[in-house]
Amino acid sequence: MEDAITRLRNAVINYEMETIADQAKQALKDGVDPLLAIEKGLAEGIKTVGEKFGKGEIYLPELVMGAEAMKAALAVLEPAVPKGKHRSSAGKVIIGTVQDDIHEIGKNLVSTMLSSNGFEVVDLGVNVPSADFLKKSDEVKPQMVAMSALMTTTMPRMAEVIGPLKKKNKAVKVLIGGAPVTDTYAKEIGADGYSGDASGAVDVAKKLVR
Amino acid sequence: MAFGIKRGVRFNILSDGDLDRIHWGTLHILEKVGVQVDSPTCRKLLKDNGCDVDEKTRIAKIPSHLVEEALAKKKTSITLAGRNPKYDARLDLNHSYMTANGNGAVTVDFETGKRRPSTKQDVANSSKIIDSLQNVHIHWPMVSSTDQHPSVVHLHDFDASLNNTEKHVMYETGVTLSDAKTLTEMGYAVAGGEKEYRRRPLSSCLQCTYAPLQHDSGVMDASLYFAEAGVPLVFFGMPQPGATGPATLVGSLIVGNAEVLSALTMTQLHAPGSSVIYGMGNAPLDMRTTIRAGGSPEHAISSAIATELAHYYGLPSCVGVSATAKEPGDQAVMEYYTGCVGPLLAGADLMCGVGLLEDSSCLFYEQIVIDNEIVGAIARLIRGEWADDTTMALDVIEKVGPGKNFLTQRHTVDHMRSEFFMPSLIDRRSFDAWSQAGSKSLRDSARDKVKGILANYKVPPLEKDVQRKLDMIIEKAKKPMWGGESKTH
Repeated sequence: MEDAITRLRNAVINYEMETIADQAKQALKDGVDPLLAIEKGLAEGIKTVGEKFGKGEIYLPELVMGAEAMKAALAVLEPAVPKGKHRSSAGKVIIGTVQDDIHEIGKNLVSTMLSSNGFEVVDLGVNVPSADFLKKSDEVKPQMVAMSALMTTTMPRMAEVIGPLKKKNKAVKVLIGGAPVTDTYAKEIGADGYSGDASGAVDVAKKLVR
Repeated sequence: MAFGIKRGVRFNILSDGDLDRIHWGTLHILEKVGVQVDSPTCRKLLKDNGCDVDEKTRIAKIPSHLVEEALAKKKTSITLAGRNPKYDARLDLNHSYMTANGNGAVTVDFETGKRRPSTKQDVANSSKIIDSLQNVHIHWPMVSSTDQHPSVVHLHDFDASLNNTEKHVMYETGVTLSDAKTLTEMGYAVAGGEKEYRRRPLSSCLQCTYAPLQHDSGVMDASLYFAEAGVPLVFFGMPQPGATGPATLVGSLIVGNAEVLSALTMTQLHAPGSSVIYGMGNAPLDMRTTIRAGGSPEHAISSAIATELAHYYGLPSCVGVSATAKEPGDQAVMEYYTGCVGPLLAGADLMCGVGLLEDSSCLFYEQIVIDNEIVGAIARLIRGEWADDTTMALDVIEKVGPGKNFLTQRHTVDHMRSEFFMPSLIDRRSFDAWSQAGSKSLRDSARDKVKGILANYKVPPLEKDVQRKLDMIIEKAKKPMWGGESKTH
């Protein structure tokens, strides 16, 4: 059992995107506890990947591929977790690129870095209608909503979400980012945090969600 | 992995016709004007081989057939070997090699920031830094061990270099016959004997000719000795356009070429088949400040056309870069970048060298690692591009299709390390990350890198019995200096 978990961890570290799902299925067949496989296997693996990226030992594609591998295995393992049990996480986050904006690499990177640091991330993708951010946060009940915008023309969409979001749920934190976004702008529109890059986003997220 | 910088890009400046004209013009100068040869041994050698030699003026006029014959005799396959064979630099006209710069007399102290005469410890430290750097392939003793007995300073330079780098060591201090003998003996000792050394010469000597059209006696006597002893030679012409050469760069190239070809002729008459590398460092005299304009565009283009001429002769080139900047930073970077990129784009085989400022006279440890970064970027620039199945990646483009990205493709991971130059000093982080890390300048980062190398990097020293041999050779070579100076340390 230990071996199967170690193998899953290594499959994330070695970004075995194509084969990791089969490995996860086999693990379940062999009677491995899915929750243990997620926490000690996948989560530990992606943590190692994140650390290596932080130290400059591996490059961006390797980080993203590690996250892809984790996602593929999660799709198998998560449905097998018994009802009522939850994996421990640093916090639940909803993330997306705002409406009318299709830039995804920066958002993906933050998403990856957050999951590699133990956050449970629900990624809504790009060009996410403002209403969807609100609907999804009702459903998922996240501790944090993270939004990305790459263009000055789409930045106001973030403000459009923050108002109603905070009205409904005072406790939820909002993190924003993207090339034109600044600290000043974040304060102006009532966001709780801002970061200029992905590693910084993790630090801010950790401070916001305790 | 191959050692050195692979070249796939080459720009041409001179046409074939230009090169023919420069060659014929040089032969004309050697035959009609001649060169001043101060060494009686060399004059005799030239006279015995049919040159017109005037003993009073010491001018030798060299017939063109002698030069052509010498060019046909020279060794064409030269490998500058390292103490560690993984650092063997094969001069195959397909790779470029960066060297350190050499023999400054001043160092800016890394701890105190004060300018002071350089020491043997500086030679040791800079050798260690050079050993650690990926983009510098050949070492030179970067400064002089001025804290050692004056008669053996250059031997201590060589000693400290051999002990602190496993890369090939080129020196420029074999300027008398006795220097040549001692330096050769040291080289043999480290190689494990003459036979071993001849097979893999782990040192070489760069000899400067004297512009315009002169050969120093000691330098040429030493050169004949080196040629015979199997020590590869670089003959390095350095007329200064506008001062010791014509203001036109091609005119100065002809002056330098006449010097290099006549030196090559003497060595091939004396020791046929000996290794000679074609060197040139024509930086103009700055007409406002009277300083040699190292790192100027004219310096760069002179080195580039000298490289084209060397290749025309089937010889590897060794050309210079330097900087007039007084401290590491903006100006030094501009001068080194300009000075390196021109010749390297033209296919320079040896590019010398990194790390000294004030026109090769003052050592800043930080500049060594900054220049290493510059060469890394240029290495990428000259590697060349080509279109084949792998580089075109049609299958990958098809697989990803519109609207997605290539980050999670195996093709990306397979190529990202070889395709992209990954800087070690250039800071590409966001403003926030950079400012949180202390808003460091390039020079600050260079300083950190040097600190790390000096604290952690280890070079295997020479074996004890080899070291003892070197100590004995140096001790034996110590002699009283001019004016009855006989102090020993």
